[in-house]
Amino acid sequence: MGDETAAGELLPVNEGLVTGIDNEPRDVQLLGSKCDRCGEVSLGANAVCLNCGSDRITGIRLAPEGELWTYTVIRHRPPGGYLGPDPFEPFAIGLVELPDGIRVMAPLAGDVDSFEIGCRLRLEPWILQSRDGPAYRAFRFAAVAG
Amino acid sequence: MPDSDIVILGTGIHPFGRFDKTPEDLGVHAARQALGEAGLEWSDIQAAYLTRMYLPATSGARILRRLGSSDISIVDIEAACASGGAGLRQAVLAIRSGEVDTALVLGVEKMPRGFMDPSMIYADWQVRMGLSMNPAYWSMRARRHMHEFGTTEEQIARVAWKNHRNSVENPNAMYRKAFTMEQILASKPVCDPIRLLEICAPNDGAAAVVVTTARRARQLGGEPVAIEACAHTVARYSADFRCPADSMSATISNPGPTRVTSQKAYEQAGCGPDDIDCFEVQDTDAFCEIEICEQLGLCERGEGGPMAEEGHTEIGGRCPVNMSGGLISKGEPVGASHLGQVVEIVSQLRGRSGARQVEGARVGLAHVLGAGGNCAVTILAA
Ligand SMILES: [Zn+2]
Repeated sequence: MGDETAAGELLPVNEGLVTGIDNEPRDVQLLGSKCDRCGEVSLGANAVCLNCGSDRITGIRLAPEGELWTYTVIRHRPPGGYLGPDPFEPFAIGLVELPDGIRVMAPLAGDVDSFEIGCRLRLEPWILQSRDGPAYRAFRFAAVAG
Repeated sequence: MPDSDIVILGTGIHPFGRFDKTPEDLGVHAARQALGEAGLEWSDIQAAYLTRMYLPATSGARILRRLGSSDISIVDIEAACASGGAGLRQAVLAIRSGEVDTALVLGVEKMPRGFMDPSMIYADWQVRMGLSMNPAYWSMRARRHMHEFGTTEEQIARVAWKNHRNSVENPNAMYRKAFTMEQILASKPVCDPIRLLEICAPNDGAAAVVVTTARRARQLGGEPVAIEACAHTVARYSADFRCPADSMSATISNPGPTRVTSQKAYEQAGCGPDDIDCFEVQDTDAFCEIEICEQLGLCERGEGGPMAEEGHTEIGGRCPVNMSGGLISKGEPVGASHLGQVVEIVSQLRGRSGARQVEGARVGLAHVLGAGGNCAVTILAA
């Protein structure tokens, strides 16, 4: 019960997917799993390797910076319990290739027309407030300045 | 090509669209038609498979009891967009085992309007973060293909133009309206670069086939069409980036579901893409058809856009694709879509497709692909 409680209840958007950085509770890092047998890296804390099925896994934190591999623009409010801006604003999502050898699907912060394949992106926290319940520590990528 | 010992003797379809009808109404319509075409009664069926994704448990028994009481095995089968192929494969295996000689495969779907309920396939966090839009996954594939191979928005639109035009001649399609290239390119982007007139809509429908042995078909007469191959697979890790995946490997490049499944089917049938006269393939969106043509081996990787643009996939072209109008114009009742393709191919191979007939079609292929990398390929021969 520390800073997070003081800042209001902040839950990871999914258990085993994201974590904060020490002393900066509203920051974010992506968790990953590296297989001790085949070396494959997968997103989140997984009990078995999604590639070879081995359960000899080392938990890692994924690199915060990568390159855009592909992207699209979401023009209509996604169905179900989307917690982004209300009223809805179109936003880009993409697959961001990290040096860990994985492409992670994530929302992209910024002008929907500003992205191109190969551009440098950096992970940033995205706090999502549910209507009556908790706020979630989620993530997105934004263009690297300069 | 080896003689197949298993054939489709009867086909039935309830038009795809939106109807104020129950799944029972839709399914009974298609099943009766298939039985009638085969010259058989419900009491002649020794095993039945109901393929569906959105209907509740034991829908097969609920629907088929309307045809009369029986004590045969009736099983519901679900494999996302490939459900129909997974069901047809079970019928083939049951007949090949010798336990039964005549089976019914019935696909029925009644879909919610608009975008599918994301909680059926996505995790809560993906929904919260707005990562649960199916078209986004297809669109990201399209964007990458454009980047790697120079595929254009016009080439993608050309696929939609062809399929909408083909559907005008198909009484079982939902939309039967031709659009100009300008109208398609002016339609609203859903997820860039994919536009509204370039994607399929979930809807309602049913399709059925009666499957039996070649020997029984000879006794019964009629117009049997041979099942040369029926394969279903679920893609291995990172072979394919498809909903609801949250990431993919940047280091592993396994062959994707369409390549793996069609390879199995080609091996079963003892033929290759050049031996096939007509194709019905998954056109969830117009780009998807371009990529699938490449993965089925109709052209080299990256050549799918030019192939569409040059008209090779039109009726009368080198390899006609989606003569029925495809899912873009028929709509996609998920559990019934593959059997709907099979109904079209059977009609083509019998030479009964009227204005959308591919001249002299002797061999045809049906392909579906969907959530989780589920893929089915069926090859039929006259
Ligand atoms: Zn491994």
